[in-house]
Amino acid sequence: MKNKKLSGNLLKCLVAVVVALLVPVLLGGSSYMCLVACFVTIYTISASGLDVLYGYSGQISMGHAAFYAIGGYGAGLLSEYLGIPLFISMFIAAAIAALIGALLAFPASKLKFHFLSLATIAFGEIIYQIVTNSPGRITGNYNGFFHSKLDIFGLKLDNNIKFYYFGLVCVVLFLIAKTMIVRSRTGRAFIAIRENTQAAEGMGVNVRKYKIIAFAVSAFFVAFAGSMYLGLVGYLHPDMYLQKQSVLFVTMMLFGGSASLAGPIIGAISIEILLEGLRTFEEYQMLIYGILLLIVIVAMPGGIVGAVKNIKAGILRRRAQKLDKEV
Amino acid sequence: MLKTDGVTIRFGGLVAVNKVSIHVRKGQITGLIGPNGAGKTTFFNCISGVYKPSEGHVVFDGKNIEGMRPHKVNAAGMARTYQVINLFRKMTVQENIMVGMHSRLKSNFWSDLLRLPNQRKEEKFVREETEKWMEFVGLQDMRDHEAGSLSYGKQRLLEIVRGLASEPKLILLDEPVAGMNSKEKEEFDALLRRILNLGVTILMIEHDMKLVMGVCDYVYCLEHGSLLAEGVPEVVQNNPDVIAAYLGGDE
Repeated sequence: MKNKKLSGNLLKCLVAVVVALLVPVLLGGSSYMCLVACFVTIYTISASGLDVLYGYSGQISMGHAAFYAIGGYGAGLLSEYLGIPLFISMFIAAAIAALIGALLAFPASKLKFHFLSLATIAFGEIIYQIVTNSPGRITGNYNGFFHSKLDIFGLKLDNNIKFYYFGLVCVVLFLIAKTMIVRSRTGRAFIAIRENTQAAEGMGVNVRKYKIIAFAVSAFFVAFAGSMYLGLVGYLHPDMYLQKQSVLFVTMMLFGGSASLAGPIIGAISIEILLEGLRTFEEYQMLIYGILLLIVIVAMPGGIVGAVKNIKAGILRRRAQKLDKEV
Repeated sequence: MLKTDGVTIRFGGLVAVNKVSIHVRKGQITGLIGPNGAGKTTFFNCISGVYKPSEGHVVFDGKNIEGMRPHKVNAAGMARTYQVINLFRKMTVQENIMVGMHSRLKSNFWSDLLRLPNQRKEEKFVREETEKWMEFVGLQDMRDHEAGSLSYGKQRLLEIVRGLASEPKLILLDEPVAGMNSKEKEEFDALLRRILNLGVTILMIEHDMKLVMGVCDYVYCLEHGSLLAEGVPEVVQNNPDVIAAYLGGDE
């Protein structure tokens, strides 16, 4: 029974990967559509990172755009001023973000839900201010920051299809990492903290330590995604790191379904497509996020993944009742 | 095993627990009784590290543990259950017990991430070990059920094995039979004996006098935060102060 379920999940993952590999073909090689697909890979990693923090550990962050910025600018600056190849500086920037995340979590681990969200909003604001008023204008302030696109040891990712495959490899690696973390002693400690902090502590879980780990991991994911953005677009603007970017991450995660592997993927795909479709109504973006968030919170707390699970459970129940009646 | 010496807990001006000294002997079941609001649970919280005593000492297994964080107290060999059921409701029965084993396990973030050989071996051990604990209280058929979906009595049992899974020297049970049906209550005596046979000492808060008088080796009675009486069950049961406290007799 257990093995059957496991191999069933593995099969689903394989199908998903095959479909993902065919995406550029399905999109007819359209450069614009492939660019959208590239953004989906970036957002999938971001939303999955936030999911480690919120979905599994129960810690909210309304300031993850800050880590997205640290990843993008960090990788860019390391490469620009220290001459480190972008591909390597991406990892360094993500590691720095993880460290900053851990430092932030050290005091923030004492804060309860809404106070934590306020603290993270403040953190997002601090990073935004640093980016827009940087010492010596190293980030280019409001003019934005330019950098050449990503090449991996000479392999230039100079079109969107190439970048998409790079993004896909990253997604697979990050999702494997997420699964490994979540299904282990560490992950069980995360979930225990989410479910009942007091009892988790009573069972020997060092709550503060695991909250710090969760923050660091999620910062690493989101910062790496931020650095991918730089590698893809070659340009950063401070306005990408406003509060609404943080809200976007939260919306994607909640809409798809938190505390699941598929949720953030589904959330990233559906919200990104929706946003691209509604490009002409860009000024209403926050309104759209707001409505989506309301729908999720009120009507389907488990997001799309949760809703599908409920429907499945409903069908099974009805089938069981029918069988009972027949007998 | 566990000794408290003049433990006092004050919240502002309110003295919740006043100079309580108890002694829990190894291999025994010690009962803690008293009317509602007597400070029993507060006293438990103080022993298990949730509160730090304002005065006094808590000595566990020869070590001073007052003021230690709860997770350290657990690692030192003391497990507990809660008056209000505090399970991880959305985790399965098996996962709850796995969390209970937390302080016995060694894998860390990196070995979990990279699935190092030690980690794999340990996870296999965890699965085998949790099977054993589920059988201990007869929950093996419910391993994949969410803890929150179990009946009240089963949740109590799960809380107890979750505590036992850390292989403690002492387990604190806070009203373990509250919410159990009469059959489960009847079987509970035997379960307590089996816990003792594992070499685990028990300190238990309980209102069910039949159970307390039947299984406890020694009983302490708290009222208004102070020790009212102590002794073997028969003595405490017939103590006029205790009877007055329970029946609300005249001062």
